[in-house]
Amino acid sequence: MNRNLARVVATLLGALAVVLPALAGAYPLQVARNVMLYMALAITWDMLLRSGQISFGIAGLFGLGAYASILGVIRAGMPAWASIPFAAAFSALAALLIGYLILRLRGMYFSIVTLALAEIFRIVIHNLHDFTGGPEGIVAPAGVIFGGSASGLYWLALVGLAVALGASIWFEKSKFHFALTAIRDNEIAASSSGVDIFRWLLATFVITSGIQGLLGGIFVQSYGFATPDSVFSADFTLLPLAMALLGGIHGTVGPIMGAVLLGVASEWLKLQMPYGHLVVYGIIIIIVILFMPRGLYGLARKMARPAEGRAE
Amino acid sequence: MAMKRRATILAALSAAATILILLWKPSVINNGIQQAGLYAAIAIPMGLVLGIVHIVNLAHGEFMMVAAYATYFACRATGMDPLLAVLPSAAVTAAFGWVVFKLTIKRALKAPELNQLILTFGIAIALTQAVNILFTSQTFKLQLDYVSASIDIGEDTFPVWSYVFVAFAILYAAGLKLFLTRTTIGKAALAVGQNPKGAAIVGIDVNRVYGLVFALALALVGAMGALFLTKQSIFPSVGSPYTMKSFCLVAVAGIGNIPGILGASLLLGISEQVLRGFRDTRAWADIVFFVLIIAVILGRSIKWRKS
Repeated sequence: MNRNLARVVATLLGALAVVLPALAGAYPLQVARNVMLYMALAITWDMLLRSGQISFGIAGLFGLGAYASILGVIRAGMPAWASIPFAAAFSALAALLIGYLILRLRGMYFSIVTLALAEIFRIVIHNLHDFTGGPEGIVAPAGVIFGGSASGLYWLALVGLAVALGASIWFEKSKFHFALTAIRDNEIAASSSGVDIFRWLLATFVITSGIQGLLGGIFVQSYGFATPDSVFSADFTLLPLAMALLGGIHGTVGPIMGAVLLGVASEWLKLQMPYGHLVVYGIIIIIVILFMPRGLYGLARKMARPAEGRAE
Repeated sequence: MAMKRRATILAALSAAATILILLWKPSVINNGIQQAGLYAAIAIPMGLVLGIVHIVNLAHGEFMMVAAYATYFACRATGMDPLLAVLPSAAVTAAFGWVVFKLTIKRALKAPELNQLILTFGIAIALTQAVNILFTSQTFKLQLDYVSASIDIGEDTFPVWSYVFVAFAILYAAGLKLFLTRTTIGKAALAVGQNPKGAAIVGIDVNRVYGLVFALALALVGAMGALFLTKQSIFPSVGSPYTMKSFCLVAVAGIGNIPGILGASLLLGISEQVLRGFRDTRAWADIVFFVLIIAVILGRSIKWRKS
């Protein structure tokens, strides 16, 4: 019953996503693109969270992918479409190096080092100004991918979301699910049952960071320029985190719910409060952690469960 | 024995490095020590909270930022000198921190460690952005004559005002040492830090100790907020690098090792100033702490594997 309902909702949402470009104008499409971008980031953040590791470095790997993409076009002469997978590979490689170093001490240490990543990458981009354009940023001479066609950019963002969704569902169905859940529940029990914790965590960190880099590439190619302040913006850490927490963590459905709710709300908030609208996300994070750590999806499932019991 | 020998070698090496830098560029040592004082005085309260309440407060620097803003507007309204505001700022920040602790962090004490991290991250964002809404991202600075005080030695001029940070850092470290070993509350706090369950069994009100220690740490941060304002300009995100650097210093020193924070700060402060001493490397000084924390994590993981 419940599963059928979920399938119907998923099909409807998928159908809506496919027909949207035919129905909506440029502005709704842009809003939809933003929502899809943040949704994909929220899903990737949650994928790592399923192992019990919290990353505050989404903006860092996202921004790194953005710069890899635009510099790939400008300095290496890549075609714009090819620079996007290159961005994914670059962020994944960076995550491999960093993860190899910092995943040895997990928990708190990992989280706090990732908190510094966006700032560190930004300083590096600032300082290599001959290569990266420095604080002023850099503009792709060829301009926006697909000549800026609204539906083209929409499809590109949808592809980014599909990659994140696909990876997340694959994680739920494959051995990753068991390994990550075991690590989250009890590391000692997991390692004594033969789970190689370090390798699973490293693989998860690399995969999620690669997708974040891919999304960064899509983002930067959709605007045609990058500045350190725009691509390493705290928004890219904060919004996905708030979305996944509000919707419900440790699964694919929660982040989707949270992203739809907060994504639409954030477009409205940005117009209402151009400065400091992020305070809302800070407060959402505090309230969710204190009062409903399983998020809205967890709450809904809790409410649905007694009803199911009666039906049986 | 091996530990002792290694410590001696380390001390000798750092003394040699210091003398070399002193001969080459005395101002680097002068600035480095002052910078270290600022870092240490901000990191010590974080070390206290982490050591006893076992919480990484990611809103640490943000509380200092709020204290600095409060002091700035109080000083501008009354024409008071921020030095006079050090004690009031400490009291107000402690009260504010205690309320925030009761309302939020206390409820998450039993939650998994990572929930606490997300919670204090949320508090940090809420504080920064609330200040951003109220006062915009404009920078504020007080113009004070005495902060440009300096001493001339030979041909060089050495600014000396920031030694007040060094004095506070030493005061904090020594004061906390006395507090934790000589007073009843301090001993209770130390016991709670070592084993909350055992402390509760012998009749210590653990939750009250947590609240008190958090408020005490915030009083120290509040005093630093007022002091910080004498020298630096303030803006909403001014606190966040200090949160990161404080954690780095606490991690380098080892949790529960407050005097160690002084040494770690010296290392960070002087290394940053060495990089700032060259035109080409100046802009890289801000990533020293990151390199330091990665080195520490690697060092720890190697040590763990050996044992």
